[in-house]
Amino acid sequence: MIKVINTLLAIVGGVGGALVLYWVLNFIAERLPGRWEDRVKPFFYILPAVAALGLYLVYPLIQTIIYSFANNTSSAWVGFKNYTDLLTQRDFQITLVNTLLWIAIAPAVVVALGLAVATLADRLAPRAEQTAKTLIFLPMAVSGVALAAIWRFIYEVRPAGQPQIGLLNAIVTKLGHDPVAWLQLSTGKTNTFLLMVVLIWSQVGFSMVLLSAAIKGVPDETLEAARIDGANERQVFFRIVVPQIWGTVITVFVTTLINVMKIFDIVYVMTGGNFNTNVVAVRFINELITNGNAGRAATIVVILVIAIVPLMLYQVRNFRAQEAAR
Amino acid sequence: MGRRKAIQRVALAAAVALGASACLSDSGGDSGGSSGTKSGDGNVEIIFGFGGAQSKGFQAAFTEWSKTSGIKIKFTEASQSFDTLIRTRVQANNVPDIALFPQPGILKDFVATNKMTDLSTQLDVSQLQSQLISGVLDAGKVGDKYYGVPISYNVKSLVFYPKKAWDAAGYKVPTTQAELTSLTNQIKASGTPPWCLGIESGSATGWPATDWLEDEMLRTAGPETYDKWVSHGIPFNDPAVKTAATAFQNLVLANGNVLGGTKGAVSTNFATAGNPMFSAKPGCFMLKQGNFITQSGFFPKNVVADIDNQVGVFYFPGQDANTKPVLGGGDLAAVFNGKDDDTKKVMAFMTGPDFPGWKDSDGFLSPRKDYDVSKYSSELTRQIADIGNKTTTFRFDGSDQMPGAVGSGSFWKGMTAWISGQQSLDQALSSIEQSWPS
Repeated sequence: MIKVINTLLAIVGGVGGALVLYWVLNFIAERLPGRWEDRVKPFFYILPAVAALGLYLVYPLIQTIIYSFANNTSSAWVGFKNYTDLLTQRDFQITLVNTLLWIAIAPAVVVALGLAVATLADRLAPRAEQTAKTLIFLPMAVSGVALAAIWRFIYEVRPAGQPQIGLLNAIVTKLGHDPVAWLQLSTGKTNTFLLMVVLIWSQVGFSMVLLSAAIKGVPDETLEAARIDGANERQVFFRIVVPQIWGTVITVFVTTLINVMKIFDIVYVMTGGNFNTNVVAVRFINELITNGNAGRAATIVVILVIAIVPLMLYQVRNFRAQEAAR
Repeated sequence: MGRRKAIQRVALAAAVALGASACLSDSGGDSGGSSGTKSGDGNVEIIFGFGGAQSKGFQAAFTEWSKTSGIKIKFTEASQSFDTLIRTRVQANNVPDIALFPQPGILKDFVATNKMTDLSTQLDVSQLQSQLISGVLDAGKVGDKYYGVPISYNVKSLVFYPKKAWDAAGYKVPTTQAELTSLTNQIKASGTPPWCLGIESGSATGWPATDWLEDEMLRTAGPETYDKWVSHGIPFNDPAVKTAATAFQNLVLANGNVLGGTKGAVSTNFATAGNPMFSAKPGCFMLKQGNFITQSGFFPKNVVADIDNQVGVFYFPGQDANTKPVLGGGDLAAVFNGKDDDTKKVMAFMTGPDFPGWKDSDGFLSPRKDYDVSKYSSELTRQIADIGNKTTTFRFDGSDQMPGAVGSGSFWKGMTAWISGQQSLDQALSSIEQSWPS
């Protein structure tokens, strides 16, 4: 009951507060002499957003960069020690390689599968298309931790001779083989790929929905014209459809890419970063919470930011280009 | 224009504030001050880190006593976040009268910053020393002063076995490590893997293996080397540690010695690792685990209901039959405010022979030698208490005393990587050594 009241209060307070704030700012702007009212008003309207971004995004970022040059309790400077320590550690190198693998593989697969599903679903009868898309989109509604828990059961292993409750091992043992400890298969990074499957499974829906909308937006005349000119279906797809939806493809790719760089829940729940599957975000939590090393945790964040920023810039530019093309 | 200047000033002030706060924070100033409840007001606050049935039992233990003594206890349960709560409260100078520390590490941190009271001002420590199981008091010792006294303790050097199948097969309880090895080989020869082992524990995966290594360290290297290892007096990858790990490897991890092999051990949850022992045809015969595993919720329900007939226990033997080191833990009662007579009375009660603790079926063992064991509900608990009583050296769980980065971080991860085969023993030990905070 108290929780409900709290939530209501928060909503009323938040929305009401924002209204009052804008009303007051507007009121002040209107008191200004004619020309100034028009000059100042836009800034007043954008002020709360800029202030919030500054307080919750820019300020913490600067603070984090500063802390990355300090020791574990942020009480003394250590120069670049955090960076050199981390980058020379074998564990962290493996972590970086894993993160790079995730980046190199997961987004591309998500886009490719999403595109394939969207294209194929487009050719189904409307009713079947709806059903197929809903099913594929469904995992998007499940939180990352729950996803990981579900997939843990799929990869679950029990000693040979005991009933296997994991789906994969139930199949494997039914076929007469010994159960396999899937998540411990670190040769050739197999277990990292098995973890990627979980992310791909959950993200294909998102990719499919956006790409499907884009495909439906491709003008039929262009397809017909190509077919009349003698293009086969493959050529129609790669030469006519894909170039016209390229902007959306890039958007989906980059969004997934940024998600993948921040990947945490799946790895944390399924392997805890053990068996050479660690990724940067899990390592960050370990440094901050388990090891209580604020300096190193900040360093990891800075490394992650340095990697993500160029991508974000690229995406923002891509957005602008798309806007301009309209 | 004046307004414009004002805006400039505000912006400047904001920038200055931002810049100033972006500097490094001081490492919290130290100031003495008010501690706990007032003296002689009949109120005492105790903070503790256990929950559920243990917390209920602990609180109930005071009901009768409070009536006669007139002292009211304020119980602050922090079962999810004892470390965080106690650290925050100490930082804010809002300390309780008594805290029950599950690990000596934080207690020693507070001793170093003069937050704790020397217990000789509260209790007759030398008398306690003779009354408590030898060595348990040392866990709360800093220099030559005692700051924490256990009100309950637990034993980890225990091996559980399925009594019926064990007796039917005619296995004998070993009294030395050599006998344990030959028993292991005997069971293996019969076609069943002798050991049950499960080290999976979510984000804490690996800890049961650290207990194994610690127990082996106590046996192969001895308590003095163990202490040096725990306090980083010798490096983590010292040859002594390697010897202990190899002993563990030969006994348990060798091919055919553990149910499911090493990969199985890594993916089996510690809580249910022993359950295959109680199948009609046991999947394994021995599980080394702390006495907590006899509480309900671990072994199968029908086994817990009939625990004395189903579960046998023996001491994880020493190198010879006369050396009996025991690895364990405990809840250390420590006093923040030493000037309150009410607190003294509570401490005397909790460390006295009449303190009933919580139910032994919920994991309570009294650290007092003179505790009336007939109060325990099962023969199994009495056997465990007897093993504790006969110890020659008690040592607190080492990983609990190491810095968090090691004890609840790289040590767990290193053991996991080693057992599941991602790292060699040398690699695992040296990566743990590398992670020790300087």
